[in-house]
Amino acid sequence: MAARACSHRAATGDGAKSFVVLLAAVLGGLRAAGTGAGLRRALRDFETQVLERVAARGLRRHLRPVPPGALEPLLEPYLAGRLGPGELRRLARLCAEMCRRCSPTAASRPQVLRLLGRRFAELHAAVPGLPLASSRVLPGIVLRRDFAAYCPTDGELRALLVTEPLRLALTAPGVEFVVDSEGQYQASLRWITKRTEALMKHLQSNNVKLLLSSVKQEEVVIHYAKLYGVSVVECLSSEEMALISEITGVSPYAPIGDNMDREISETAVVTFCQPLLLVSRRCVHIGLASVCAFLPHCLILCGPVDGVNEQHAAALQGAYTMLQQLFKTVDQREDWKVEGESQSKASDVCTWHSSATQKQLVIENTCNTNQVSECRLKALSDETERKIFDPDKSDLLVHNQKNHSIPVLVAHNTDIVTTCERLDVGKGLEKMCCHIVPFKQEKSCAGVAQDYSNCLIEAGAVLPVGGYFEILLHYYIQDYAKQCQQSEVTIVSNVVADALLSIPKALYRTAERDGFTKFYLEAINLLRKNQPLPVNNEGLESVYCKYQLVTSVLHCITELLSTDLVIGIRRPLQKTEDCDSEDDP
Amino acid sequence: MSRLEAKKPPLFISEPLTRDAVSQSLCLLSGILKSSYGPAGRLKQLHNGVGGCVCTTSQSSALLGHLSISQPVLRVLTASVRNHVSRFSDCGLFTAILCCGFIENFRSLNVAPFTVIKISKHLLSLCMDHLKSEACGCRVSVDFSSVETLVCLVQSILTSKPACMLNKTEVHHLTSLVLKAFIFTVPCHVETNAVLGKCVVIPVKGRRVVDSAVLPGLLIEAPEIQLGKPLAVKRTGSNMIKIALFSVSMSGDGSNPEEGTIAVHHGVSLEVSELNQLLNVGKQLVKDEVGLVVCQKVMHPSLKQYLKENGVVAVDRAGLSLMEPLGHVTGSQPIASIHSLSPGCYGSLKDLCVESFASKHFLHLIPEDTVICSLILCNRSETAWDELKRVCETAEHVLQLTVKEPWALLGGGCTETHLASYIRHKSSSLPASTFKDLGCSQTQYQLVADGFCRSLETVARSLSHDGEEVLTDVVYGHCWFVPSGSPCVSRWSDLVSKCGCGVNGNTEDLSWSFLQGQSGSTILQGCPKEPSVKVADLQTLDCFAAKCSGLQVALETASLILDLSYIIEDQN
Repeated sequence: MAARACSHRAATGDGAKSFVVLLAAVLGGLRAAGTGAGLRRALRDFETQVLERVAARGLRRHLRPVPPGALEPLLEPYLAGRLGPGELRRLARLCAEMCRRCSPTAASRPQVLRLLGRRFAELHAAVPGLPLASSRVLPGIVLRRDFAAYCPTDGELRALLVTEPLRLALTAPGVEFVVDSEGQYQASLRWITKRTEALMKHLQSNNVKLLLSSVKQEEVVIHYAKLYGVSVVECLSSEEMALISEITGVSPYAPIGDNMDREISETAVVTFCQPLLLVSRRCVHIGLASVCAFLPHCLILCGPVDGVNEQHAAALQGAYTMLQQLFKTVDQREDWKVEGESQSKASDVCTWHSSATQKQLVIENTCNTNQVSECRLKALSDETERKIFDPDKSDLLVHNQKNHSIPVLVAHNTDIVTTCERLDVGKGLEKMCCHIVPFKQEKSCAGVAQDYSNCLIEAGAVLPVGGYFEILLHYYIQDYAKQCQQSEVTIVSNVVADALLSIPKALYRTAERDGFTKFYLEAINLLRKNQPLPVNNEGLESVYCKYQLVTSVLHCITELLSTDLVIGIRRPLQKTEDCDSEDDP
Repeated sequence: MSRLEAKKPPLFISEPLTRDAVSQSLCLLSGILKSSYGPAGRLKQLHNGVGGCVCTTSQSSALLGHLSISQPVLRVLTASVRNHVSRFSDCGLFTAILCCGFIENFRSLNVAPFTVIKISKHLLSLCMDHLKSEACGCRVSVDFSSVETLVCLVQSILTSKPACMLNKTEVHHLTSLVLKAFIFTVPCHVETNAVLGKCVVIPVKGRRVVDSAVLPGLLIEAPEIQLGKPLAVKRTGSNMIKIALFSVSMSGDGSNPEEGTIAVHHGVSLEVSELNQLLNVGKQLVKDEVGLVVCQKVMHPSLKQYLKENGVVAVDRAGLSLMEPLGHVTGSQPIASIHSLSPGCYGSLKDLCVESFASKHFLHLIPEDTVICSLILCNRSETAWDELKRVCETAEHVLQLTVKEPWALLGGGCTETHLASYIRHKSSSLPASTFKDLGCSQTQYQLVADGFCRSLETVARSLSHDGEEVLTDVVYGHCWFVPSGSPCVSRWSDLVSKCGCGVNGNTEDLSWSFLQGQSGSTILQGCPKEPSVKVADLQTLDCFAAKCSGLQVALETASLILDLSYIIEDQN
């Protein structure tokens, strides 16, 4: 349970506590109803039959789009669960400012948020000993180490990424260098020194004034770098190197070979390069010209102690993950329309961009070949193709078919979001190639009276905080359950509907004694009269995250109920690859 | 095989602040800190029962660095104060006492921590706005064109630590040295980005404080130089001394950074080859008219001898910490290879002479124009020297901070009492909308504001150690001390002469009252007035930046601690 809650939190950046509360309530409810194989199956059916229909029919009416430019209403309630009341507002403002400055246009926001969530460790610098009020957002990035060599320059310059020592070695491990005479030995050493100097000269003539090295360079290299006006930063972590590569699109330079005349092409454009004093520690502050949508900025996070800074950083990173979810949609399952397929289900994760006149659907799909059999993949890509051909405009599509790597997100039974997130990290840049398809689909489904497209919850849909989502879902599930014929699905529906209320109950526990009852009665009365719910100004939350929470909990419960025996074993389980390499003396 | 121990479950402590053990530790810590505060603060002797040296101090950095604290709550507090000190050097005790005061005062209120934190945050913003406004009555601007305020600022810092064991003349002497050293570090020709230089402290223990001195340029310890002989240094055509700085070892032991193996044929000696190369370097240096060679690491005796014979002064084992200022002073690039010398690496000096302090010989490198200076700091005993060094460094740092924000706060408890009376006045006249925004009632706000003011006043009261009565006035809100054992008189003005910072005298009737910290003891008459400050009257000043940050850090840390409802400790 803990692992599931954590993986849910890692994926959506939110909801670990709600996960446990809801899980406990549903399990408790099911136990009271009496468990059985029928109930287990009913649980599986519940998601596709009830939950999605309820979301489509009832919930959608109450959703509203996120107000443009306003991230604070979303951030404040999120951060309130993680931070003390004193720091809340300030951090929400910093978080939103960082996001706005890194992505000035709304279109690039999902991509930037993904990068912020993934690389936040490298995009912030913690400063202990200063009050939080001193925190600020700086342009460029801050590398938390001093220059090995610093030569002040003004204006734009070029930087080179290196991953190996620039001074050639006389010998290498396992290589023997034979000295015939003293003269030969000195000559060799002299040649190495001269070569290092020549390399620095070469860099200087190519206007390279900054070396970003992942390894420590020898003193000779630093010495000549200073002489030829090249600043050097050493010992960069692989994450920092990757970040710089990602922003600038430059890969590390390999100075191997005697060919020094070659022009150095792989250089990054650096707009400024200067030392920055953070807590009497000198750091490197560089401005990078970006090749992607992300405008590099760095957050200087101040707090009285390191632990507080770590907590703040973790909360902000979570906030970016949460915001990222905001731009996703919940789609109805394929097997709701198409029959069959019970084990693995596919869902498209779609992103809506509201451009001026028409809506564009961006399908971001990733592929996990491990879990899909070939025919399954084919079937899915067929479906995708069909969907692509659906609209009448086809010139764009031809282009799409050409780069035919239709990656497909496969959500294996329980952990849709986890798989998706893990792939996210791995794929990195590849994810940018997505298929943009003009999309204007307004299908009506026979089973349900209302109109809806195949996306259940649109990107950017929000609801006010404070249990509105749970109350709405509770009301509509119960409403639907009344019409349902299958008795077991009805039982499950009622259990889940009641369990949903445990979350607002927990929320209102700290307030007045009968706060929850009052809130509940008010909301249900309004819903019965078909009136809109009252609006509070406390903040908003992403419906996507909430919906994912419910489905994740349901998947977890299905898994738990499918387990009938827990077997304790003596030795810890090992990964398959290293299981046959031991025990022999 | 290592023994496996069963994993212990983590330790849960709920509501840590209500625990007796935590309250007692907090009380003890705050007692230690309060008794150390100020010029009359009591000294603490830190020593280990096993032996070793004894540290006599009243400084927060030394105290908190050596105390072993087991309570997680207090570890947060001390870590926070130490981080503040590492950033600002000053106001560590102030921050720590204030933070303890906030915790003690807010904990006893019957208001939910969530509300307390919100209200106190609002109170803090009132304080910060007041401190940054022009009308602030406890702030004076620092005029860098005259020395008086600077002298007062430095003197306040030097006298605030009694463990330095300074008398009045020594304080005067050191004040002028610290100021002189600071002025040396200010560059004469300011470009767009002025960078302050550095003052290197050279320890001379066992001498009188008045023997301390400050010299422009750098001093390098050179034990091999004889004092009697005049120093004959080669000079270049333009009467400068050329200097070469080596960061590479010149010992000729052929230490190679290579990872592989080197096979040497019979009869070939790498050591000889290295030494020959070193002597080649020596020849090149002599040819290039270098007058002084400084090596960070060890120099081969033969090379040293060769250089000496050719009239080149050679110093080795300079150490890594001197390399950066050496490069600064001389304008030379440290040379990292003995295989090629480029003339661009050399630096120059105006003069070179020998100085000696307390049986130590130093080479004094005098540059043409520099922002680096050396402070030869003397004190009688080891522990007093350590304390004095920290105090002098604090003073330098405070001066640097003051350049950035040219203000100082009134010392002697006056800033604290002034802020407290400002907050008492301000909090009684807030519009109702403020309480609504904060989600609290006016009574709750008043309770928290009162706790806030009492915490500030606790700091001012901590300055009294000999049973002096502490008073405050209702006109300026300053802090006044009545010597203990004073006779009972009807009028306070007969007993008090000047307030803590020295700005106000007893000429007008200021209707004094006891500063006892009980709520409602101060009669409010309105906003505390801004006194007319005559610089000559000022007795103590505090660093503006350090105190402002200390105030904020103290409240943030206290909020953090008050908000704790569980401590989960891993016992494995």
